[in-house]
Amino acid sequence: MMQPTLLQSFDLSARKALPAALTLMLMLFALTPTNVPGLSPVMPMFALMSVYFWAIYRPDLMGYGAAFSFGLLEDLLTATPIGSSALVFLLTQWVVLRQQKFFNAKPFVVTWFAFIFVAAGAAFIRWVAVGLVADSGFTPIAPMFASYLITVAVYPLVGWLLAKAQVKLMGQV
Amino acid sequence: MRGPTGQISRLGTLKSLLQRFAFLSLIGVTFALMLIGKADTVLVERARSAVTDAVTPILRVMSEPASMIAQTINNVRELASIREQNAELREANGRLLQWQSLAQRLEAENKSLRSLLALVPEPGAQFVTARVVGDVGGAFAQSVLITAGQSSGVKKGQVVMTGEGLVGRVTQAGNASSRVLLISDINSRIPVLVGEAGNRAILAGDNGARPKLLYLNQSAAAPGDKVVTSGDAEAFPPGIPIGQVAEVEDGNVAVELFVARDKLQYVRVADYGLAGFLLDPPAAQQP
Repeated sequence: MMQPTLLQSFDLSARKALPAALTLMLMLFALTPTNVPGLSPVMPMFALMSVYFWAIYRPDLMGYGAAFSFGLLEDLLTATPIGSSALVFLLTQWVVLRQQKFFNAKPFVVTWFAFIFVAAGAAFIRWVAVGLVADSGFTPIAPMFASYLITVAVYPLVGWLLAKAQVKLMGQV
Repeated sequence: MRGPTGQISRLGTLKSLLQRFAFLSLIGVTFALMLIGKADTVLVERARSAVTDAVTPILRVMSEPASMIAQTINNVRELASIREQNAELREANGRLLQWQSLAQRLEAENKSLRSLLALVPEPGAQFVTARVVGDVGGAFAQSVLITAGQSSGVKKGQVVMTGEGLVGRVTQAGNASSRVLLISDINSRIPVLVGEAGNRAILAGDNGARPKLLYLNQSAAAPGDKVVTSGDAEAFPPGIPIGQVAEVEDGNVAVELFVARDKLQYVRVADYGLAGFLLDPPAAQQP
């Protein structure tokens, strides 16, 4: 077997970093001001979609450490109690990994259907965690619920984009 | 997963054990972090500042297309109604010219009266203009990230506004970025004056678009009453416009804000040299 050249190994690690890079991009995308009236309180949980997607298709590239780090980053950026997103991402990852057999080679519609439940759990746990820890106590649940519905509705689009990126950029990595 | 030989299978077991251990310990860490975040706010705030400083340049680039699209849509919308707008503006201009002459006369009168009283003038404010590049908090909080920080003189507790009115105040100032808590946030409490009578009340955010007025005699407010900062508690200078009373209903007085969260593009951070209650008490920081 030939030793990979420096360029090749760099290329390989760049491809392997793709899930992380895309998750980061989605997270920042969610923070960008859209100037659309009423959208910001119900912004879909883009980072959650990405964590879920990669946990299904490339669990080797999105481990517990990565999920935790992204959660931490989101907490620090969005001024929600530190650790609350990290907890939710970890649990999402855990649920998907536990059900690996179920997800294995299933059509996309099935993963979307499963996401309805996973995202519901994620949204609810996040809401409770923030409510318990934040000084302000429990926030109104309606925006969180709306955000959840939009998250589920948008997931096919985001999943499709991520799948495209996976096929185009990661190839056989 | 079962490997073809016993060795691989044992390796697999070891790997899954390690994974389980990693999962459980990270879960433990998140709980510990939630507790630490509650106890040591200074440390967490420093971490938040570092992260926002690192991310703001990226957000600045990413928010460019969004604001361009918004601007284009606005332009098209304005083009459609340019005729009516012109007529409205001409009329408004005429009205404002009258007000201007009145204001000039009153200013002159004010000046002479002040000199009679030997009044010490209030210190003027220093302004820093910044762009809004992040709308953070989602369903839980209402805050924005702006592109000015301590390096341009922004400090925690300073007042943030636009030409229309009050936006909020700085709750965290990094080196080149800051976080602004909007007045609609659930943690926001602002002493205000309501209406021409100047009834005192507290404007309390609830994460919705219309914050409520607390501690106000209901009969003391009517729809259309202007709400301005009162300057109590030294958090805000008096007289900054906030909004107007939108509706009064069973003990709830809702205020329509002059500055909507989704309209924010550029803001001014004002330094009035106020102590304010947001500043950390110097003695309480170190254990």
